[in-house]
Amino acid sequence: MQCLISLWFLTAPKPKKRRQDVVKKLQFGVENCDDITPPSSPEVYDRPARDGGISPELLAEEQKDSGVDGDSGEDEGLSSRLWVDQFSPQHYTDLLSDDFTNRCLLKWLKLWDTVVFGRERKPRSTPADVRSNFTNAQNQNQSQRFKTKSQMTEEILEAELDQYKRPKFKVALLSGPPGLGKTTLAHIIAKHAGYNVVEINASDDRSAELFQKRIDTATQMKSVLGANEKPNCLIIDEIDGAPAAAINILLATLNRKDSREGEESGGNALKKRKKKQSVLLRPIICICNDLYVPALRPLRQQAFLLTFPQTLPSRLAQRLAEITRRHGMKADTGTLMALCEKTDNDIRACINTLQFLHSRGQKHLDQRSVNSISVGLKDQNKGLFSVWQEIFQLPRLKRKRIGGDSFGGFDEAGPKDGTQRLQHILHLVSSNGEHEKLTQGLYDNFLSMKLKDPGMLGVCAGLDWMCFSDLLNECVLHGQNYSLMRYFPFLPAAFHHLYAANSVPRINYPHSNYEAFTKTQHTKNALLAMLNDIPPAVQSRISISCLCLDILSLLLDLISPKLRPVNPQLYSTREKQQLYDLIDTMINYNLTYRQDRTPEGQYTYVLEPNVEDVVHFPGLPPRRQLTYQVKQLIARETELERMRRVERAQQKRNSQKDQEGKKTEVKKQTNRNHQQRLENIVKQTVVESRLISLLSAGEDGKGGGVVHIGKAVGNSDVWFRFNEGVSNAVRRNVYIRELL
Amino acid sequence: MVQIVISSKAGEGPAEWLLVELQGEVVSRQNTGLAGNLMGDLHYTKEGVPVLIVGHHILYGKQVKLEKPFAVLMKHSGLPRDEEETMETNQENPTSYTVSALIKKKLIFKTRPKPIITNVPKKV
Repeated sequence: MQCLISLWFLTAPKPKKRRQDVVKKLQFGVENCDDITPPSSPEVYDRPARDGGISPELLAEEQKDSGVDGDSGEDEGLSSRLWVDQFSPQHYTDLLSDDFTNRCLLKWLKLWDTVVFGRERKPRSTPADVRSNFTNAQNQNQSQRFKTKSQMTEEILEAELDQYKRPKFKVALLSGPPGLGKTTLAHIIAKHAGYNVVEINASDDRSAELFQKRIDTATQMKSVLGANEKPNCLIIDEIDGAPAAAINILLATLNRKDSREGEESGGNALKKRKKKQSVLLRPIICICNDLYVPALRPLRQQAFLLTFPQTLPSRLAQRLAEITRRHGMKADTGTLMALCEKTDNDIRACINTLQFLHSRGQKHLDQRSVNSISVGLKDQNKGLFSVWQEIFQLPRLKRKRIGGDSFGGFDEAGPKDGTQRLQHILHLVSSNGEHEKLTQGLYDNFLSMKLKDPGMLGVCAGLDWMCFSDLLNECVLHGQNYSLMRYFPFLPAAFHHLYAANSVPRINYPHSNYEAFTKTQHTKNALLAMLNDIPPAVQSRISISCLCLDILSLLLDLISPKLRPVNPQLYSTREKQQLYDLIDTMINYNLTYRQDRTPEGQYTYVLEPNVEDVVHFPGLPPRRQLTYQVKQLIARETELERMRRVERAQQKRNSQKDQEGKKTEVKKQTNRNHQQRLENIVKQTVVESRLISLLSAGEDGKGGGVVHIGKAVGNSDVWFRFNEGVSNAVRRNVYIRELL
Repeated sequence: MVQIVISSKAGEGPAEWLLVELQGEVVSRQNTGLAGNLMGDLHYTKEGVPVLIVGHHILYGKQVKLEKPFAVLMKHSGLPRDEEETMETNQENPTSYTVSALIKKKLIFKTRPKPIITNVPKKV
């Protein structure tokens, strides 16, 4: 019974004694002792003095169990409860999880005391000095600039209360892998601090309205009848599976303001009062497995985060030893440690395995049976980062068992180790289904691994595997041959064998695929924009690949000749010719300069479409740019030349049409002008644009005079000059002599 | 009292002319005078709206009935050319007027003329 006493303490009403025993396990200084006492007086406290932390009924049952030996049928009849429930901690000191975490959560819960129980917080002046000395010493020793996690958590807990006397973080969020005891901890701590626990877990309907209702009932109401007259504490379990709407409702509850504040906003005060929004006055504890689920992001910023570290195997083994002893199973510490390691320190899984073995009649446990057992293991989906860590890191060597199996054996360490590792990686990768992201992460990070590879053979092998994976992917997608997907996990396994090292790898999230993709799109768009408007004579000779590979970089050099930045009128003939050639090239390849504004506010001329980026290698210096004035000059001249060419093309087209028109001409040309025009009018109601083609046909036939763009052409002698104004009031004197 | 005799041709009535009223003036562009030049074209659309094209302008108008119709008179002077100007009554051939035509309707072009633009390029 010695070990019993060291683990489980008597529930004496004097708090100090209890504290002293727990002190040596704590990692930081003790502050005011009175803080952690349950607020209610010991008389109300339900549990009378217990023996060893287990309630008398259970103890009686245990004794019955241990009395009957080897009779499995009777055992099952009497103790059909799960051992997990039987041995679940009933008291704060029974908890197996890390002490710091337990204490932090309890401290946080205690911060609610002023609101819930009306107790005042004691001022903390002297302990602060003690602690600051302690932390100063720590700082000097470690000379760290950044606060440790424990210091930060402490600071959070010490923070002042807000105007309603509530702590700054109104909800606590516990996170960690399954089976660590988070739910148990939350229940125990809430009970210890004097609350009645209300739980909402994944089995409940968590749709928006129901969730809202449940929160409101839990936090605003209290049961009048019945034994539980304690205030409620709400525990929301498996919150990472809750729908986002539910989490939003939780956040809204947290951020509720009292209706008194509505007076400031004047007219809104009435509305707020109608809604009856009351402030949250009870603590809420949330539990999740994966802290980085996207739905939890807003909650993370407003919650008191507590991450659960792994249970210490030694403590777990001790507890398991107790349990096996109670049920009459024989197992030595080594076996229990192996069991812990196998289940990854998952308390629930260990106890369940023990119960299963016990129910199968196996009273003696040895290491071999434990190692070979395949029950009791939980299916776990590990995140990408943990998978990458495992791929790039050699597993820690397994400790040699003290009373090692003769079958297990050291001699099998070598190849079995390799095979085991392979199987382990394969299993791990298959359990995480995101193969694409995984491969990208491997690709991005494999070169930064520590690898002794003078001949780069390892790198080549890795890249070969990447090619294989690509081909495999192509086959799968091309022919819908999904049976080939079972070969995907071999890529990470190969990478593990090639690149795993002992040190902890630094993994970066893969970005290179996305960046490369966007860059390709960008350059392709620029090239297509350039190709689309190239005149057909040139376009027939270039394709996009030819343009990109052969022509473009040299073209960019061709269009930056040395030109004097003066007025083009002042150029010599040679320079004029040079300019003309340059403009010709630019029009033929659909390039021009466009004025752009930099973020600093300056104006620059940028090539349009910006194909400079296409042929620019990042490491090389940028090519020589023309000056602003020269670019401006070139841009303007290009525009003018383009317009002229279009005009000429139009004219050619029109004069061709008129060639045919001329032959059918009989009457006088002027008549024909007007008559053609008017025939058109008579046929349809006049639309100006329809006259255009006929008019131009008529006009141009007259002798091909210069056709000015934008001006009307009237070749007749008689013109009409309109007098502006209304003519109803125009009076004119008419004299007889004008008529005679 | 001076009596001016206006007579019309016997037989059928006088011809009917149409008055074209423009709000503006008609000028000769190259100073060759207006006489004998083609002014423009007059046509009617399907709805009966008269359309006049002068130079590079196109005018729309409407046909209106004159409240006071005009008569076009031709003067036949009775006075011999080479004698003095003495007023004589009771001459053999007094001055007479004959009606050449009557004007009962007019076409009035009140609106601002629209220019006729040729050769607009599609793309500059």
